[in-house]
Amino acid sequence: MSGYLESVLVLLAINIILAYAAFLPMVAGQLNLGVAAFVAIGAYSAGYLSNSFGLHPVSAALMAVAMAALTGWLVAFPILRTRGIYLALATFALNQVVQGTILNLNVVGGASGYPVPAHIGFPVVAAFSLAVIVLVFLAFRTRFGISVTAVSDDERVADLMGLSVRGVQSAAFTAGAALAGLAGALYAHHFNYIEAQNYGVLFSIYIVLYVLLGGTQTVYGPLLGAAVFTLLPELLRGSAAWRYVIFACLIIAIMSLRPQGVILKRAWFSK
Amino acid sequence: MIEQQIVNGLMLGSVYALVAVAFTLAIGVLNFLNFSIPGLFMVAGMLTWFLLRAGIPWPLAALLAIASGGLLALLVERFTYRLMSRSEHFVPLVTSMAFLILFENLVLIVWGSDLQRVPLPFESVSFKLGPTVVAVPQLAGLGCAVLAVALLDLVLKKTRIGRGLRTIAEDAEVAIMLGVGVGRVVPVVFLVGGLFTALSGFLFALNYQQASPFMGEEIALKGISAMVVGGMGNIWGAILGGLLIGVVETFSIHLFGARAVDISVYGLLLAILFVRPTGLLGGAVRQARV
Amino acid sequence: MVLEISSLSKSFGGLKVIDALSIGVERGERLALIGPNGAGKTTVFNLITGVYPVDAGKILLGGNDITALPSRYRIRRGLARTFQNIRLMAHLTAIENVMIAQYPRAPGAAAMLQPVGFGRANRWRAEARAALAEAGLEAYADEPAGALPYGIQKRVELVRALAAAPRVLLLDEPAAGLNAAETEALHQALEAIARRGVTLVVVEHDMQFVGRLCSRVVVLNFGCKIAECAPRDIHADGKVREAYLGAEEHAA
Repeated sequence: MSGYLESVLVLLAINIILAYAAFLPMVAGQLNLGVAAFVAIGAYSAGYLSNSFGLHPVSAALMAVAMAALTGWLVAFPILRTRGIYLALATFALNQVVQGTILNLNVVGGASGYPVPAHIGFPVVAAFSLAVIVLVFLAFRTRFGISVTAVSDDERVADLMGLSVRGVQSAAFTAGAALAGLAGALYAHHFNYIEAQNYGVLFSIYIVLYVLLGGTQTVYGPLLGAAVFTLLPELLRGSAAWRYVIFACLIIAIMSLRPQGVILKRAWFSK
Repeated sequence: MIEQQIVNGLMLGSVYALVAVAFTLAIGVLNFLNFSIPGLFMVAGMLTWFLLRAGIPWPLAALLAIASGGLLALLVERFTYRLMSRSEHFVPLVTSMAFLILFENLVLIVWGSDLQRVPLPFESVSFKLGPTVVAVPQLAGLGCAVLAVALLDLVLKKTRIGRGLRTIAEDAEVAIMLGVGVGRVVPVVFLVGGLFTALSGFLFALNYQQASPFMGEEIALKGISAMVVGGMGNIWGAILGGLLIGVVETFSIHLFGARAVDISVYGLLLAILFVRPTGLLGGAVRQARV
Repeated sequence: MVLEISSLSKSFGGLKVIDALSIGVERGERLALIGPNGAGKTTVFNLITGVYPVDAGKILLGGNDITALPSRYRIRRGLARTFQNIRLMAHLTAIENVMIAQYPRAPGAAAMLQPVGFGRANRWRAEARAALAEAGLEAYADEPAGALPYGIQKRVELVRALAAAPRVLLLDEPAAGLNAAETEALHQALEAIARRGVTLVVVEHDMQFVGRLCSRVVVLNFGCKIAECAPRDIHADGKVREAYLGAEEHAA
């Protein structure tokens, strides 16, 4: 496989994981503008672990997932006391604070970037991506899947129907953080170099936008969104800036015409 | 030199204040977080650089830059609020994000990614106020900001349009029933926000003599923090919040270095959201939808 | 008594909405709760189900004090309800809505992760589908609830409440907005439910409906119980007439 094709597929695999990282909180009604923060936590923890302790990159990645999940779980306590726009703002603020903190951590390179020599090849990245897809598909065939939508649709009634609203929201947020961390760790070890400047709120916005493009009403939506975001620019072969211009125009068009995203919903448990 | 830091902070804060006013108008009246605002700030700033570098006299450059903000804001309105009532509630926010990306990348294509030096079209004059130095253009900027907000306050309180805006802010459905011309009034919110933001972009480019395609992200985004700290939906809160954030940032640079700014400014936002989400001057927390 | 509220009081910002209210409901009874608008009927339901905390008084379910029990546990103890403005989850289908209410019968993290969405053979899904079929709603099972007609949504809400296998069912204006045929169908459905041993507490304005279904009526006004008798005796009660007519005079 040519190097070029391989790197595109790796990006696709990682973008799929990122898509589900944003998708899980979004189905729970949380607009998570802090996805990039958890990606950064995953990337930098994994990089640090493999650089400083010589851990095998896959082990480092798994530990980074745990770190991102733990951070997500802890942060969820105060953040999930807010709702709607306040929640979106809180995740935005979190993103900037995390990015700002990393920029100051000279032990991981600060603003100069952080090389991560240990390498994870395409097959492993693809395997993780496939595993994530399978897990998410399974998850939405369980009670958890309908509970998440129920909590997002009507918190008060979901509570009266016996669901732990806080528990479900926290689970969705934490799972999203874990997936974001995984994506970060994989990216760090495949491309072998990470820069804190890339993990600002705009990165979160890109992810949220392409998830919305595909649609949040089915488990297929994020796949489509990630695919369009990754592959369309390759087909169009412009400069990076042109790709984003076209992406932005696509979003504006879709939001005008079909805001639920391209893939409409039947049901989580369709026949 | 604390006094100098405070003065510098207030000068910077006036930039944030104007942007915060634009944000707070959109939130207060339309219940919508307008992420395209930093894009407008950046375009105005870059236009200011471009025009001044081309030798255009600065009053004309100011006019053009500010007008650009108004025009782009109306474009954004066409594709965001117009769609709001018809579909999912997140649409305007998401579309405004897409516009931010659009503006930033279009500017990158046209002018590249470099930080540009903005030529100062006049002799910079400054005077001493006690132990501190105050640059006149910066003071003029602060004056502009306060004047603009005072004017806006007057408009909101005394004119029909202003009353229309306040009615919509209270309850959009009731406003329609009362015959408020929502279709004519709403673009005004965007227009005013756009003009304020563009004015801020122009003032920043002029006073700090720099512009870049990333200045929206780096500077105007902090207007959100200013808006929340001052109290969402309150234009005087936006001024207060803006000045406060400016001072916080200046002290943060002075004490911890330039790279700690984000932690301070956004840490403050995070803290306010957890502890007192209504902000300093805000009222009851609205169950605002995203 | 299967449900008892004892000296229940609730104020909102200085306004006393429920005032030392005591009501007892026997097992298998069909009790109606009536009163003019604003009397506090829905508030009583909200207090019983735990939407609001009480200021004073006690709530006992099956003899157990549930006054301080968090709202999400009350349905597990057998207390289910329907809502005045239909509150189905709009983005879930009818069958998914029903399945939501199954959770209290088998709660816990393991149950959360049960793959109930796979295959038609899954017993929870089959049970939900059968419940909808029994109510004549099988055709709507896979439609998003938000798109269903009003009358159908009301019926789905009832099926959902029953999916929790409650012993006490609180119904908030179940006949509101229904035409004569639908009201009759509702009556039949509730009769069948009551015959299965479920205790019914119904808030209603339709006195004919109340008269056919319920054995006892409690009348509220301004958060107080002003009368308690059989449906046919309501008209004769002076205080009740005054409450309703008084309210009408006020409105006039």
